[in-house]
Amino acid sequence: MKKQSKGVKDRPRISGKDFNQYKYFRPKSKKELIRIINGFQEDLTIIAGGTDLLVANYQKLYEIKNWLDLNLLDELKNIKMFDDKVEIGSMVTHQRLSKLDQIKELFPVLHQAAADVGSPQIRSRGTIGGNIVTSSPAGDLLPPLLIYDAKLKIISGEGSRVVDANEFFTGPKKNILKKGEILEKIIIPLKEDIYKGAWIKVGKRKALIISSISLALNLSMDRSNLIKKARICIGSAAPVPLRIKTAEQAILKEELTKINIEEVAQIVSEKISPIDDIRGTAKYRRQVALNITRKALSEVMNQ
Amino acid sequence: MKINLTVNGEKREVEVKPQTRLLDLLREDLDLTGTKEGCGKGECGACTVIMNNELVASCLVLAIQADQSEIITIEGLNCQDELHPIQKAFINKGAVQCGFCIPGMIMSSKQLLDENINPTEAEIKRGLSGNICRCTGYVKIIDAVKEAAHKMKSRGEDDD
Repeated sequence: MKKQSKGVKDRPRISGKDFNQYKYFRPKSKKELIRIINGFQEDLTIIAGGTDLLVANYQKLYEIKNWLDLNLLDELKNIKMFDDKVEIGSMVTHQRLSKLDQIKELFPVLHQAAADVGSPQIRSRGTIGGNIVTSSPAGDLLPPLLIYDAKLKIISGEGSRVVDANEFFTGPKKNILKKGEILEKIIIPLKEDIYKGAWIKVGKRKALIISSISLALNLSMDRSNLIKKARICIGSAAPVPLRIKTAEQAILKEELTKINIEEVAQIVSEKISPIDDIRGTAKYRRQVALNITRKALSEVMNQ
Repeated sequence: MKINLTVNGEKREVEVKPQTRLLDLLREDLDLTGTKEGCGKGECGACTVIMNNELVASCLVLAIQADQSEIITIEGLNCQDELHPIQKAFINKGAVQCGFCIPGMIMSSKQLLDENINPTEAEIKRGLSGNICRCTGYVKIIDAVKEAAHKMKSRGEDDD
């Protein structure tokens, strides 16, 4: 006799031949993907790495009817280097991002954030595209993508569009994707500037933890070593990953060593809109925002 | 839906439903009950197996997604009647108490040592960071991985 797993009621028997009423699509090419999106009118649940979806739906798995699995789409797993940009397919895993030397060299903050996601078991399955489309305010790759001015290419049956990552997120687990749209790739522009960056993730433990708050920082310096462009983005402390534009403005054209760290930290702490939740209180997050901003700025000063 | 996969070197054909997890397939269809179910949410690592040379939580992989893949479970580690050096080291060091987490711990250790036969203590901790043990306090587990690394290195080959 087969026992049911704990906490799960009415889970269908494991092996059977009677599930023809539901579809499980596994397209192998973009063409096939588009054909499915265009041709199939019922509800489709899209699965990438499954590290969020399968957790959230485990207790009610039987409610997912038709699946669209992106895992066989090799076209979405490419990382392409160009002179002026890098394109990362949406199905690239955290594991690959965290092991690629080119990513480490070009986008150290993204690299570090990918290496800090979950655990080896999660990084091998979870994808950059899944992290983006899930759109959790605590998605660890989101602040790094925002500080590198990433763009997102979205495809659908009607064509494609490219949007700024900064305009993609509209609320907790909400974004601008419409039904039938799929995130194809992430495009990160490359400049000749010298970058200095930092990534800080704060959580109750190091592995397998959803961030209580995170910070991604990227400064590009001009030839006279003044700050030409500044990006500061905070995760887990607002409905969306939040760029602190006032703080970015405040340090523009400054010499790195002359930044008023306290002023920047105060701005960051004031501009976020944290909530009380299981991972920390709003008050705690404002205090930690101060500390991690100080720490991140001190780190880049020593780079 | 029929899928084909290789489990511990053996080709298998299994009928699965879309919601069948790799964990269910291994334990219930193939009777490989060495792989354990702990949290069912990818946090505890008890269900860890190696899929296409990568560590996965088998509770977070659908069985259909394992179609055409190569899976190694704890049952596939020993060579004929001899235990794998990692298994021996866990016994030698007394790294096992209740034992529930150990199949996952050993699979993570194997993956770690396959990638890096000379890990530092920090690298061992990172390699095992997806596995929770509620008995041992991890000290002896880390000792066991060190001993296994030493044995495997001095023998110059991994006999999996």
